[in-house]
Amino acid sequence: MAQPLEGTFSAEHSARLLRNYRYVVERTMRALGGWIALTPELSAKLLMGRHVWDLAQHCDAFGRRLPELRAHAHESEPANPAVATFMDALEEPEAPDQTVERLVGVYSVLKPHLLATYRGHLARANPVYEPPTRRILTRCIEDETKHVVAGEEILRHLASTPAAKERARVRQARLDGLLTSAGGVVGDGMRLLLSTPVEPLRSDLSDDAREFIRLEAATAAWPVPEGLGDALTAFAAALVARDTDALSRWLAPGVAIGDAARENLHAAEYTGHRVVAFARLGHQHLVKTRLDGSAGSVVVLSRWTSAGDHWRVAALDVVGRDLRPA
Amino acid sequence: MDRPIAYDKLAREDRFVRMRAREVAELKVSQGLPPFPDLSSAESIKERVHGIMVGELQAMEGAGRSVCDFPEAPWEFTMDMARQVWDESRHVEIYLRLLDHLGGYAGEFPETTILWRCACAEDAAARVAGVNRGLEGLACDVFNQLVHIARKIGDPVLERAVDFVLADEITHVRMGSKWLTKLTEGDAERRRRAVEFQENIDERFNLGGVRREGDHDAVSISIAIDVRRMAGFTEEEIERLIKTTQRSQVY
Repeated sequence: MAQPLEGTFSAEHSARLLRNYRYVVERTMRALGGWIALTPELSAKLLMGRHVWDLAQHCDAFGRRLPELRAHAHESEPANPAVATFMDALEEPEAPDQTVERLVGVYSVLKPHLLATYRGHLARANPVYEPPTRRILTRCIEDETKHVVAGEEILRHLASTPAAKERARVRQARLDGLLTSAGGVVGDGMRLLLSTPVEPLRSDLSDDAREFIRLEAATAAWPVPEGLGDALTAFAAALVARDTDALSRWLAPGVAIGDAARENLHAAEYTGHRVVAFARLGHQHLVKTRLDGSAGSVVVLSRWTSAGDHWRVAALDVVGRDLRPA
Repeated sequence: MDRPIAYDKLAREDRFVRMRAREVAELKVSQGLPPFPDLSSAESIKERVHGIMVGELQAMEGAGRSVCDFPEAPWEFTMDMARQVWDESRHVEIYLRLLDHLGGYAGEFPETTILWRCACAEDAAARVAGVNRGLEGLACDVFNQLVHIARKIGDPVLERAVDFVLADEITHVRMGSKWLTKLTEGDAERRRRAVEFQENIDERFNLGGVRREGDHDAVSISIAIDVRRMAGFTEEEIERLIKTTQRSQVY
């Protein structure tokens, strides 16, 4: 059967859609690039690092196609001011404990919408005279499908607690609302999206994400030398109990807990402790111990040195503090 | 978004211990150990690989910031930096797996952040000069030597993986040279400042005489003269680097 010559879009309209896509994709690419340094979790860092380049290529393809449609190359344009507002909100979370919020914005809200929009566009782009645009959309659809699956996998890993799931839900509801108010990234009331059947995403496309999670969780147990494990437990218990005499027995001669560290340690009551980092520095060990309580937590970094069979603290500092308001 | 960010905003999981490079070196010397891993044993190779892994992590973060921080730069600059983000993310993955291969783990040694600090330069030209030419040039030296050591000790996994990373680093140096020239066209003062920034980084990463011209087995970090030529460093630049290593004070 001959392919239809009837078209849905004019060249001018097609160019506008590409400028609209380019606007949100470019901003997302720059946000992901900037967030890598602000995100503590390795799995999320690697996810973002992988996708920045894909998005740059999408932007580039849209930008290069534009002059072929009688428009200026590499020009981005929001469909309306509400799209810009949506993107401002998407970029907002920059704090280290907001990885879930960052990922929800990109992987639960924007990318599924972009994927549906690209699919809707592809379904309507004429196969006789729009193959250059169709080829770009086909590549973007393939990439975005992988991105969404991978992002969801990382989100399930990072937002596994009820509290984190609730944060994700609230974040998604807010951004979904803003995107709907904007009428989607092309500002047309999401007509393309709503009238296009969306195939379910294949979970076997998320291999990379599973590997990122494996790499993040690779350390099964710290190789703690004999004797040091007991010392770490006793020292942490003394910190929790604020037992000055017990603490002083673990300190090497000439070592004292400084005023600033003492002030941080005494800022709240702690009930539990656990080792969160265990590093080597020559023959010595650097240990991070997290003290947790209902009012918050602190992270204590101690450097341990051995003298014969005895382990002693050669230096101590508080390197992290997370206190909840009373 | 904040552009650029302060260097102390660099986010890490708790399992990493961050320390000043000088403090790490001093504490090792005080224990009668060399200040930097010298590749003379399996343990020192593992420690070197860990140092490279956190360096790659910071390189990914730095390149990501370059994508974010300079929206007014030419589009092709953003494309090159975005490509570098992807390359560095693969390098992080490669070195995490190599650490596993060598029996180590992420967080086994303290992380220093000199590299990241260099990646926080406010001017794009200074950043590419310092990171892509200074630090990626250092990476060429380190990786070229590591490929040699891996071949010598019969570790084809290490040899092959690092060989491919080295190929990427040569590309990154070339990107740096291209953008140093393009971004400073018609602005001699900006170029002078960027080159000065790179030279300061080169001097700093001579590590007090640890990086030198010499045989892979004889020096801790040997300058990869042929690889540097391939990456586009001029004979004059290579000669100047060798001279600065000769005058660097031993730690």
